[in-house]
Amino acid sequence: MSYQFTLSMIPLALGALVSFAMAFYTWQNRKAIGATSFAIMMLMLYEWEICYIFQLAGTDLPTKLFWDKLMFVGVVATPVAWLAFALEYTRRKTWLTAGRLISLSIFPLLTITFILTNELHQLFWTKIALTYQGGFFLLDNINGPWFWMHALYSYTLITIGMVLFVRALLRWPKQYRAQMTWILLATLTPFIANIIFVFKIVPILIDITSFALTFSAIGLAFALFHHRLLDIAPIARDIVVDGMKDGMIILDANRRIVDINRAAQQMIGLSSDQPHIGKPVAEILSKWPELVQRYRDLLEAKDEVSIGEGENQRWIELTLSTLLDENKSILGRVLTGRDITDRKQAENKLQESEARFRQIVENANDVIYRVDNNGYVTYANPATIRILGYESEKDVVGRHYLELVAPDARAKVRRAYVHQFLSKTPTTYHELPIIAGDGSETWLGQKVQLIQEGGQIMGFQALARDITEIKQAQDALRLARDQALEANLAKTRLLSKVSHELRTPLGGILGYAELLQRNTFGELNEKQQKAASQIIESSDYLATMVNELLDEAQLRSSAATLHETVFSPATLIEQATSGMDILAQKKGLEFFAQVDPNLPRAIYGDDRRIRQIVINLIGNALKFTKKGSVHLNVTCQGDNYWGIQVIDTGIGVPAEAQEAIFEPFQQVHSELTNDNRGIGLGLSITKQLVELMNGKIVVESEPGKGSTFTVLLPIKGVG
Amino acid sequence: MTKPFVLIVEDDPKLNEIINLTLQGDFELETCADGNTAMELLANIIPQIVVLDLHIPGTPGREILTHLRSDKRFWRTRVILTTADNRLAETLHNDVDIVLLKPVSPNQLRELALRISSLQ
Repeated sequence: MSYQFTLSMIPLALGALVSFAMAFYTWQNRKAIGATSFAIMMLMLYEWEICYIFQLAGTDLPTKLFWDKLMFVGVVATPVAWLAFALEYTRRKTWLTAGRLISLSIFPLLTITFILTNELHQLFWTKIALTYQGGFFLLDNINGPWFWMHALYSYTLITIGMVLFVRALLRWPKQYRAQMTWILLATLTPFIANIIFVFKIVPILIDITSFALTFSAIGLAFALFHHRLLDIAPIARDIVVDGMKDGMIILDANRRIVDINRAAQQMIGLSSDQPHIGKPVAEILSKWPELVQRYRDLLEAKDEVSIGEGENQRWIELTLSTLLDENKSILGRVLTGRDITDRKQAENKLQESEARFRQIVENANDVIYRVDNNGYVTYANPATIRILGYESEKDVVGRHYLELVAPDARAKVRRAYVHQFLSKTPTTYHELPIIAGDGSETWLGQKVQLIQEGGQIMGFQALARDITEIKQAQDALRLARDQALEANLAKTRLLSKVSHELRTPLGGILGYAELLQRNTFGELNEKQQKAASQIIESSDYLATMVNELLDEAQLRSSAATLHETVFSPATLIEQATSGMDILAQKKGLEFFAQVDPNLPRAIYGDDRRIRQIVINLIGNALKFTKKGSVHLNVTCQGDNYWGIQVIDTGIGVPAEAQEAIFEPFQQVHSELTNDNRGIGLGLSITKQLVELMNGKIVVESEPGKGSTFTVLLPIKGVG
Repeated sequence: MTKPFVLIVEDDPKLNEIINLTLQGDFELETCADGNTAMELLANIIPQIVVLDLHIPGTPGREILTHLRSDKRFWRTRVILTTADNRLAETLHNDVDIVLLKPVSPNQLRELALRISSLQ
């Protein structure tokens, strides 16, 4: 083997070098779309070029033929790699299954087989010859039928690839077009060169495909480095535009469809099989002539349109925008449609529910209104207008709420609101007078609720009711109560006065009667003695009645408050019982008092009232006891209570009357009590006093044998 | 033995007479019907018992009571209060020896007067 290298081979070598570099570089970035097939294609080109250099350099036929045959490996593989690259780069990789790749490779493999076995059948080359022209040894083969088959196959693959690129070029965004153009130019150049060589259109000696391949490689390199061919693969229109949920139609300046995505086709109800590009938009949207007419000359528009009916009704939000170039002339229009059915349905439901609630509020008989945080009425329902006697909504809405409040009450109402706002009390209740439409005062009882949004107070809403009548009734009631209280007080005063005034003449009656009885004014006979006794008894009864009436009146009035001081219970008992033994003796009764020595020396309490209790109980016992004794027993009941017990041997209280005797004006009626009249207030007063002191009173009694009244009072220590 | 000396201050003539008649055999009595006379009398005499009505003309009964309780000369003097005002009577319970709410029973008055005079 001998070779003859010439300077004319340098461009071929450079081309090979560039091809190899490209193959290497893209292999490094093989993750990029189409990079693998592009790298293989470059590697095959490299092989092609290297083999061609050696074929040219060879000076004898066997050498040349060896390299020529070897070269065809690259020659047959390049179109397949090219097609694979085109498919991958234009996002049709899925088409390129392993089976199809193998099928595509069958023909090239057959070609290689025929080339290697050409000596046997001359199907590829009918004649192999070496010529010497212009100082070069050149291979001058005559191509056989299979060569033309191979050529046809290769051109077909290359053409398909180019068509794919051209189609993509038309659709892709502008920024990808330069890149695509470079790829096409780079591909087209060797293709044309090859056609020229193969068909010997121009008589040239060397296969200029190699030069073309150099240009091609440089072109691709430019595409690669300048337009970052493989770094940023174009964002697939299919993925983005067809994958969009929103429908999109792009129109040119003549309102013809330039692009329409799948979502738009579905929304309109077009089949995706038919080509729509190029059709006038009016044809596609023929179902909505009104819309087309309206949008015809608009630059921008936004609408909500309904498509379909019943269950299939969809709501679409249409947006029209216009694409302008730098000179503000219309390039085209973009129509996008968004399916807003869900939102629309939610809105409708909200509207329905709002309408429902509005109806409730509007038809309510109560006053319902809203006020913003500056105090202006923003809403008032018809009841507000009606109840307040205004003409229309304008009389209320838009006014400051204080304007509606009666002048006298404004400051107070304002304070209440301010307090509620500051303290952020969610709800309050106020009663306030409102100036009605006719200038009269209407009282509202209203529940005021703060309106808060995200912690911010937006105002308040109130639910109110006309309480004018209730208010008037309340006022009347209050007046009646005051009058009653006053009358009651007057009654008490009168009773006090009357009983006080009665005491003095009673003193005269009782005094003279007793003096008569004691024969102060001379000896009395039996009848006179008896008459004196009757006078004494009657005046005693009258005195008791006066006392009881007075006590009752005082207890029922505001006088029934305790005046607590520190006192000695022993001293109190001594004072209260002084004179009791005299009264007892007068009736022939025995009286004695016993005080528990463990009783505290000092107790906190209302000593006057306690004295009154003791006197009442003993007085009562003396009154209802004919013979026997009355016994006072003051005891200590644990740490917390002390007891005042009055035990008599009197007529007793029947079990059924034991509760009633503590009611006012109740007495046990029996022949035994006939002589002991009273008006029956003593025990009632005693019970009231005991309860006022948080104590209790109980009675144990057996009729005929006697009664035991026990009062338990809490011990309030002195400390 | 000398009878205990009692000063009766009572403006109502009937009650005054009753008290006089009640106490006469057992006590030495001095009677007046108004506060001023009572105060004049008390300047010269030291009674063992004063039967005092609160509602009297002239110097009020309360003032007489205060006078009796503040002057050391009267340290042994006992006071029996007679009144128709039960509330007032209650407030004065601790300042006097006995309170008798009107109508006063002559028998009771006599017994009590005898008892407190015998305690001395």
